[in-house]
Amino acid sequence: MRGANYVLKRLSFAVVTIFVAITLNFVLFRAVPGDAVQSLRCRQCTIQFKAALRKELGLDQSKWTQYTVYLKNLAHGDLGQSLRFQDSVWSELLPSIKNTMAMLALGTVFSIVFGVIVGVISAWRRGTIADKVGLWSGLVFYSLPPQWLGLMIVLYVAGAIGLPTSGIKDPTLGILGDASTWTLFVDRVRHMILPAATVGLVLYGEYALIVRSAMLETLGEDYALTARAKGLSNWATVWRHGLRNALLPIVTLVALSLGFIIGGFITVEYVFSYPGIGLQIVEAIDQRDFPILQGAFLLLALSVILLNLLADLLYFKLDPRITE
Amino acid sequence: MSSAFTAAEAPEATAESRPGFLRTAILGEPQAIVGIVVIIAFILIGVIGPFVTGDAKTKVGTVFQHPSGSHPLGLDGGGADMVRLLVNGARVSLLVGFAAAFVSILIGGVVGVLAGFFGGKTDIALMRLTDYFLVIPDVPLMIVAAALFGRSLRNIILIIGIIYWTTTARLLRAQVKSIRERIYVRRARAMGAGNSRLVFRHILPQVAPLVVANTVLLVATAIFAETFITFLGLGDPSAISWGRLIENAFTDDAILNNAWWAIVPPGVCVAIVVLAATMTGAAIEEALNPRLAVGHLSVRRFRMRVLPSVGRVEPSATLPPPTGAAGATSGKGAKR
Amino acid sequence: MNEPLIRVENLHVWFDLKGGTELHAVRGVSFALERGERFGLVGESGCGKTTTILALMGLLPPNASVAGAVYLDGENILERGEETVSPHRWKDIAMIFQGAMNAFNPVKTVGKQIVEPMELHEIAEGKDAWKRAGELLETVGIAASRARRYPHEFSGGMRQRAAIAMSLACHPKVLLADEPTTALDVMVQAQILELLVGLSNDFGLALVLVTHDLPVVAQVCEQAAVMYAGEIMESGPLEGLYHDPRHPYTRLLFAATPDLYGEGEVVSIPGAPPRLDREIQGCPFAPRCDRTFAPCHDVKPRYLAVGPDRHAACHLNDPALAKAS
Repeated sequence: MRGANYVLKRLSFAVVTIFVAITLNFVLFRAVPGDAVQSLRCRQCTIQFKAALRKELGLDQSKWTQYTVYLKNLAHGDLGQSLRFQDSVWSELLPSIKNTMAMLALGTVFSIVFGVIVGVISAWRRGTIADKVGLWSGLVFYSLPPQWLGLMIVLYVAGAIGLPTSGIKDPTLGILGDASTWTLFVDRVRHMILPAATVGLVLYGEYALIVRSAMLETLGEDYALTARAKGLSNWATVWRHGLRNALLPIVTLVALSLGFIIGGFITVEYVFSYPGIGLQIVEAIDQRDFPILQGAFLLLALSVILLNLLADLLYFKLDPRITE
Repeated sequence: MSSAFTAAEAPEATAESRPGFLRTAILGEPQAIVGIVVIIAFILIGVIGPFVTGDAKTKVGTVFQHPSGSHPLGLDGGGADMVRLLVNGARVSLLVGFAAAFVSILIGGVVGVLAGFFGGKTDIALMRLTDYFLVIPDVPLMIVAAALFGRSLRNIILIIGIIYWTTTARLLRAQVKSIRERIYVRRARAMGAGNSRLVFRHILPQVAPLVVANTVLLVATAIFAETFITFLGLGDPSAISWGRLIENAFTDDAILNNAWWAIVPPGVCVAIVVLAATMTGAAIEEALNPRLAVGHLSVRRFRMRVLPSVGRVEPSATLPPPTGAAGATSGKGAKR
Repeated sequence: MNEPLIRVENLHVWFDLKGGTELHAVRGVSFALERGERFGLVGESGCGKTTTILALMGLLPPNASVAGAVYLDGENILERGEETVSPHRWKDIAMIFQGAMNAFNPVKTVGKQIVEPMELHEIAEGKDAWKRAGELLETVGIAASRARRYPHEFSGGMRQRAAIAMSLACHPKVLLADEPTTALDVMVQAQILELLVGLSNDFGLALVLVTHDLPVVAQVCEQAAVMYAGEIMESGPLEGLYHDPRHPYTRLLFAATPDLYGEGEVVSIPGAPPRLDREIQGCPFAPRCDRTFAPCHDVKPRYLAVGPDRHAACHLNDPALAKAS
C-alpha cells in the first residue's frame, strides 16, 4: 500500500503525543502548590472530610505511584471523580461534549463554507474590489476577540433577530403539556445559533485568509501558467488547477488552527451560558473542581491530536507525491 | 494562532536579507506603515498616558453613566472613566503582549538556533519536542495553567510566552540551517571562527528581519491570548488590561444596562492593535518570501497600445528596411 | 513571396513599474518563420527573449502593455489583445516552458493533463482523447501506459518529453520552446533536441527555440536572432552568425561559449546590460563593445541587410559610417 510507512509514522506520532499530553496533564495538576483537595470549596469540606478525600484519591502517596495509578485508570476510561458532584468526571462531561460538538459543527460548517468561497473569489479576482473585501473582512474578523464579538452580538443582534442568548433550552417548554420532538429540536437549534455564529465568524476570518493565501500561492505556480497557455479561462484554471492544489496547504494550515478553535469556543460558551464543555471548564475553575478540569483538558487535547492525525491522513490522500 | 499568510507547510528558508532590509520592507508597503504607526501610537499612549490620567479606577460618577462632554466614553460598571481605563489598559495589554512575545522569542529562538546550527541529533530531538508541543491545543493549556498558577501578571506573561515558542523555533531552525550552509559562513568557519562568533556575528543578523516579523505577530497573539485568560477571571486582579475591561463589562452586566461604551471600546482597541500587528508582520514576511507580485491569473488584461510615430519610441531600428516612405524616417533618427 | 506562417512585426512590450515608470522590455522585435522552420532566439538572461514569446501567446501579466503585430497565416492575432490572441492558444501556437518540470500539476496524472486541452478545444474527448494522449506519448518516446502516472513519477527528461507531447495535443502549427533543456544533463539534452528536430521535420512544426545556450541552438536551428536589451542585434543563418558575425555582441557571445571539444578560452563580456526602464541613447551594446567608434554612443544603429537573409544592427556595417571607424 502506498505510503504505509507514512501512515504508520503519523499514527505512532499521534500515540506518542497523546502520551505526552497525558503526562503533561498529570504534571501540571500535581505541580500546583498545595494539592487539589486543599483549595476545594464545598459545603461538607471539613478538614476531616478533606483528609479522607485525600486518602481516597491517593494524594497521600508518592508522585510516581499516583502517576501509574492515573495511567491505569485512564486505560480503563476512568477520568476520576468530580470533587463537587458525586459523579464520575466522564458522566459529567459527556452531555456537555455533545452540546459543544453540535454547536461547533454548526459554526465550523458556516466558517468553512464562507471562508472557502470568499478565499477563492478573492484569489480569482485578485486586485479587484472583491479581493479587497475578502481580504479585509477576513483580517477584521480574525482580529476580533471572540468573547467580545459574542457580547456585541448579544447587544446588537440578538434582540433584533429575536434569538435566545443563553442556555440551550427554553425553560418554559414542556411545563404546560408535552412539547413535540420537533419543537424541542427547533428550540435547541435556536439556542445554538448565536454562539455558533460567533465562533463561525471568527473562524471565517481565519479561513478566508488561509484559503486566499493558499490559492494565491498555487496560482503563482508554473502549472497555472501552463493551464492558461492551454487556453483555460481564469475560472477554469482556478477551479481545476488552483483549488485542488490549494487544498494541500489549506489542510495544513487548518490543522494548525485547530488549537485556536478549541479555545475560542470556551469564552463564547461562557458569554452565552451555553452548557457545553467550555462552560463546564469555567465553572470547574471557579469551584476548583480539578478532576473535571483535568478530564476536560485531556479530552480537548485528545480531540486536537486526533483531528491533526485526520488532517495528516487527509493530506496523504490528497498528495500523490507522498510515497515513503 | 498561526500566521495565515504564509501557506508553507514547513517554513522555507528565505532569501538573504541585506542591511536596511527591514526599513525598505516596511516603507515599501503602505499597509505596513499604517500598522507600525498605529502600534507606535498605542505604545506612546500606554507609556505616557497613565501619567496623565492618574489612577483610572477611581469612581467619578454613577455606574454606567452615559458618555458626556467631560467623559467622552462614559463610565464603567464601577463608575470609573472609560477613557482613562482604556489608556491604562493600553499599557498593561501592550506590556503583556511584548513581554510574552519576548519570552516566546527567547525560548523559541534558542531552540531554533541550536537545532538549526548543530543539526544532527540535537536537531532531531529538539524538533520532536517542538512537534509534540505544537499539537497540544494552546488555549486550553493556557487556561488550565492560568487556573493553576496564574493570578499575577508575571505568571500570565510566562504562561503565554511558554506556550507560543514553537512557531519561532521552527522558523528560526529553517532559516539558520540554510544560512549555515551559505558560503560566507563556511568561509568564516574555515578561517577559524568559533561557533558563538559564527552565530552572533554572521547568522543572527541575517535572521533578524524574520525574528522581527515573528515578534510582531506574536505580540498580537499574546494580546489576544491575554484577553482569553482575563475573560475567564484568571487575570491579575489588580491589573487593568483591555481584556479585563471586556470581562468587567460582562460581569457587571453592561449589556443589561445597554452600556455599549463599556463594551465596545476595549474590544475595538484589541482588534486595532492585532490588525495593525498582523498587517505589519505580514508585510515583512511578504518582503522576505515574496510571492509573485502578479500571479498567472488576473481578471485584468495586458493592454494593447499604438506605436507612437513621433515621440519617445522611434520606429524600430530592427525592422527589415521596409519599402516606401516609412523607410525614410527609420534608422537615421538621431537622438540628441 | 508567400506569406510566412508566423510573422512578428515591430513587437514592443512594456511593464508598468511601481512608482509610475515603465520597463521597456521588448523594443521592436521582428522575425518570421515558415512551416517547418526552426528559429533560435538567443541572448543573455534578461534580454527579453522569454517576454517576446510569451507575448506571442498573450501570456503577459496585467501590468504589461504591447504594441506591434503578430501575423499568423496573415491574420494579426494581437489586434485586440487578449480577445484575438486567446482563441489561438494551444490550437495554433503552443509552448513548452522553462523548467517544464513544473509545467505539470503534481496532483493530476500526466494523461489527464494532455487530454485536458483536447477536450477543451473539442479535438477529442473521453476514451478517444486518452487514446490520442497515449499515441502522443509514444511519439515522444514514452510508453502509452505511463499516461496514468503522476508527474513526479517521471524523470526530468521524461517529464520534458511529456510536456512536448502535451504541447502537441491540438496539432499546433507553431511551437515555442523556452529553455527546454536547461537543468537536464547533456545526454538527455541531446535526445530532447533530436526529438524537437524530428517533430519539426515530420509534422511541419515551426519551432522558435529560446535559449542562452549556443550549442543547443546550433544543434537544432538553421536560422537565429541574437537579442540584447530587448532588441535584435543580428539575425540570419546560424553558420553565418558563428563563422562570420557582423555584430560585436554576436562575436563575443559565441566566443564566450566554451567549445564542446574544449578548444578556445572562455571569454566573458565585462559589464552589464543597460537598464530597461529608461531611454537608451545610441547603441545599447556600446558600453560593453570593443569596437565602438564615434557614432556608437549617440546614434542608434540601423538594422541593415548584411548578406542574403542576414541583418545586423551595427554601425560597422553601415557603409556611410564605416569610413570613420
